[in-house]
Amino acid sequence: MNAFDRRDFLKTCATGALTAGLVPGARLAFAETNANSYDTIIVVYLRGGCDGLSMIPPISGNDRSDYEAARPTLRIPVTGTGAAFALANSASTSATWGLHPRASRLNTLYQAGKLAVVIGAGMPNPVTRSHFDAQQTMEYGTPGSTGIGSGWLTRHLASAGLPANVTIPAVSAGSITANSLIASTESVTMGNGGDFKLDWSAWQWNHSSRTPNGVPGQVERVADLWAGNSALEAAGRQTLDALAIVRPMNFGAYNATNNPGGYQAANGAVYPTDGFGNQLKMIAQLLKADLGLRVAAIDLGGWDSHNAQGVPTSSYDPYGNLVESLSNGLGAFYQDLNGAGAANFAQRTSIIVVSEFGRRLRMNGSGGTDHGYGNMMMVLGGSVNGGQVYGRQIFAGLAGESLFEGEDVRVTVDFRRVLSEALIRRAANNRLGYVFPGYTGYTPLGIFQGTDLPPDYSASFDRVFASGFETA
Amino acid sequence: MTNALAPSPAFAARRSLLGALRAAIGLDDASAPPMHRPGKDPIAASVAYPDEVPRVDFATPPDRVRWLGKATFGFSTPLDAEFLGLAGGTMDAKWETWLSQQLAPASIPDADCTARIAAAGFSTLGKPLTQLWTDHVRADPPYYTRMLPAAETECATIIRAVYSKRQLYERMVNFWHDHFSVFGFDYDIAPIFVHYDRDVIRPNAFGNFRTMLEQVATSTAMQFYLDNYASRGADFNENYARELIELHTLGVGNYFGPTPPFDVPCLTTTIHCPGSVPAGYVDNDVYEAAAALTGWTIKNGYWQYPNDNDGGFIYRADWHDRRNKIFLGLYIPPNNQPAMADGRAVFDRLVAHPGTAKFIATKMCRRFVGDAPSTALVNAVALDFSNNLTAPDQIGRMLRTILTSTEFKTSWGTGMKRPFETTMAGLRGLAGNFSPRPDNTSAWTLTERFVYQMQLCGHRSFHWNPPNGYPDRQTAWASTGALAMTLKMLSWLPEMRINNDDASAFISDIVAQTASAFPTASARTAGTIMGYWCDRLLGYRPEPTYGVVTNFLQQNATASEVIEIGADSWNANNLKLHYTQQRLRTAVGMILMSSDSFRR
Repeated sequence: MNAFDRRDFLKTCATGALTAGLVPGARLAFAETNANSYDTIIVVYLRGGCDGLSMIPPISGNDRSDYEAARPTLRIPVTGTGAAFALANSASTSATWGLHPRASRLNTLYQAGKLAVVIGAGMPNPVTRSHFDAQQTMEYGTPGSTGIGSGWLTRHLASAGLPANVTIPAVSAGSITANSLIASTESVTMGNGGDFKLDWSAWQWNHSSRTPNGVPGQVERVADLWAGNSALEAAGRQTLDALAIVRPMNFGAYNATNNPGGYQAANGAVYPTDGFGNQLKMIAQLLKADLGLRVAAIDLGGWDSHNAQGVPTSSYDPYGNLVESLSNGLGAFYQDLNGAGAANFAQRTSIIVVSEFGRRLRMNGSGGTDHGYGNMMMVLGGSVNGGQVYGRQIFAGLAGESLFEGEDVRVTVDFRRVLSEALIRRAANNRLGYVFPGYTGYTPLGIFQGTDLPPDYSASFDRVFASGFETA
Repeated sequence: MTNALAPSPAFAARRSLLGALRAAIGLDDASAPPMHRPGKDPIAASVAYPDEVPRVDFATPPDRVRWLGKATFGFSTPLDAEFLGLAGGTMDAKWETWLSQQLAPASIPDADCTARIAAAGFSTLGKPLTQLWTDHVRADPPYYTRMLPAAETECATIIRAVYSKRQLYERMVNFWHDHFSVFGFDYDIAPIFVHYDRDVIRPNAFGNFRTMLEQVATSTAMQFYLDNYASRGADFNENYARELIELHTLGVGNYFGPTPPFDVPCLTTTIHCPGSVPAGYVDNDVYEAAAALTGWTIKNGYWQYPNDNDGGFIYRADWHDRRNKIFLGLYIPPNNQPAMADGRAVFDRLVAHPGTAKFIATKMCRRFVGDAPSTALVNAVALDFSNNLTAPDQIGRMLRTILTSTEFKTSWGTGMKRPFETTMAGLRGLAGNFSPRPDNTSAWTLTERFVYQMQLCGHRSFHWNPPNGYPDRQTAWASTGALAMTLKMLSWLPEMRINNDDASAFISDIVAQTASAFPTASARTAGTIMGYWCDRLLGYRPEPTYGVVTNFLQQNATASEVIEIGADSWNANNLKLHYTQQRLRTAVGMILMSSDSFRR
């Protein structure tokens, strides 16, 4: 495992490709940092159906009583060991709300006004308690249907009016592209930047940086093996483009002696060393390199807590471990981006945390919770009107008669309402009818700072525009 | 080949186009085009413009090469020779013979594979479940030992995919591991994973679905994975019941959501389903199935029964929710039932539903034919399922229908091989000597590097965490991440050395095999050598692949000039002599990296 191929990197540097600016506007490793001139929207998907009532539990009021009655041994306490953080500006009709005690970094960000919470969020109709159906339809942005075949972020990018050339408009962290970016020909799916290069074939003929006089090596010639017109070959060319862009980047850790061009998180940020932390770090590096990153999708899985979910009052707390991963990862990420002045990347970065559905109010007999319906969302960013719980005025409550089917949190905030506000206020894309076909009646909740635009609900889209009006 | 020095037209055109782009924005480096650029469609054309007929201009292999490639883990010349030697005057007749043999795997001698597994020195693959439980769970061994049964199964799976002659059987084992997917490297599952693979999946791969379904349901691995072992009484745990219906039998296409059950239309009548069944399931059916399956659990030393602790299945009547249930329109009366009766009624009801037949048939057709099998073929295979509900060779019959269909025999490029399959095909074509095995030393072994790279490909065996199993469609595997990392894996296969160093033997010595294929040095032109390797790895010589790799090996030699594969040294002024052995291995790797080796 060589996350950083030093020889390759130095040779690339020596040939001038990197220092000359391999990609437009790129400041890959050495150069000064400037906050980007565009916004980046990052979607964190909590796969498996996160128990929103443990992440954002009611801490007072009638909802608290109902919560305690439904969860005799699976509740987040309000006092003592493992008590929830109380959230300011959270009073709904029948509760005030808290934050899971192991989300201490998120709590700090909430207090600082950078993190917002939404309650009662989800897909309004149709209801599905299938993980895969819910994830796919939500990420396609088309509740109840998967026929569209492309993700909501894909269509956002296509309609966002991007400049002519953008090096990496989108990243999906992992091996397999997130549904929200499915069918995008502009995104890069990548789990580990350091590994993302074709450098394991025989040294002397691997790449033109290693061959005599720069004659094409294997890496350059492979494109000729993917020149056909099938969809497979189109995907292959997209892959080779992505490999070529990423190859000269240095994803290794900064070391003054051994890797002075490596990545060093700013502002004292220390990323967790788990997969989520590593992928967040990768996204931060791409974002800061000014490669044009408009959107990124990243997963944190393992939330399907049917059994032995755990509580923060016990040392056995698998749910809490995940919360801590989420909180520490996002905390480090925000800190890394939150420099002063020209290094203030946080100002133009918004992170939306979402899951396919919430879990049932009532715990089951094996210390877990089964598939439910409405859920929380969280939004983090420098331009977020944080420190508030949104949707609280319209939250239906946890009393039996106000629950969906008497069991589940009701959906009172359409997830598309939150995403649409991010698109309009942060990305200046008002083409809601194209990004979310069939969605109407948008009004902002006020989560994001920015300028409102009248929503365009037309679903049609001009192919000429989609293809880019400038010719090569 | 005309001018061997010149890059191929596609390469030249690409550089020219990108160079122009670069020049326009003041950059002179032409190697890395931006992902978003003028003239490029931001959404895959096949999705954005579904009414357009997809154009496909790739070369198609000969019949038998397609058939063998799609029914095995990869074409190879020894397999081809065996096939051509079979009884039958036509390729179709030989195919019938081959299929009949493959559907009776026990009759196929498999000495090489068996010997390799024996020689690998695996220590857990022969242990019965109780022994696995004793040694790897109750003994509370170090982490490596606890996980060893999963790690050894992973290695044995690779060996079988590459070396077993029971190829169709191994493909179906792989299919069922995806269908009844569990996360094999889960802390609770890994110690007993040998049992799941050996005693649950493998014996049923060609067998009867209903039988397999119940064996899966009662397996320690699935009981732990989907929590049914902890589902007790009225406060049952719904995890297994939901995935049983959504993923293992009816499929989400037959899910009607939280609707009341009586609102679901019947398949054949509008009155509430006398003699028929509801068209699909609702959440209430999930809850009823969960209730019916309470008390199906594992002897894991639970505090109520500390002496029941051997890892095996047990039905506990006192944990069973004894109330009446209505499942898919079937009334199951309360109380006084024989053990497991209502759970079995749920299985029977599910397996008899036409939706299940169609769901399983669709998945099998997708695996062997392509992403969008015809309705006619799916229906024919579903009929095999429904007409043979109790037959011991129900699945084998379905397979036979698929593999003898015109659709199977004529289609090509309708699906994409996944990273594991592409990699196994590469190893088979290279005739590599690779017997992976787990290792507990600090050394970075060949096996560890290999499985690490499979993980980066997104397709390491038994490493899919959610219960839906690895995807089976091109939209997933054509992701840049999976595809890039698979290309990297394939480029590395000719460089793999048994000790993962710079000196030990290659697992497949390309230079020696080339020399042996062309004992007369004068026969070793770039065209003959790469033709030989195209035949070995692909079974034919598709363009542009054959031309590109020949051009690469040839460099500045003439088409008829001998390539000197005996030397491997620097020669910047005469590229045909520049690191020729490395160039040959690289060119062979390029065949594996071609789009042709991903098609199926």
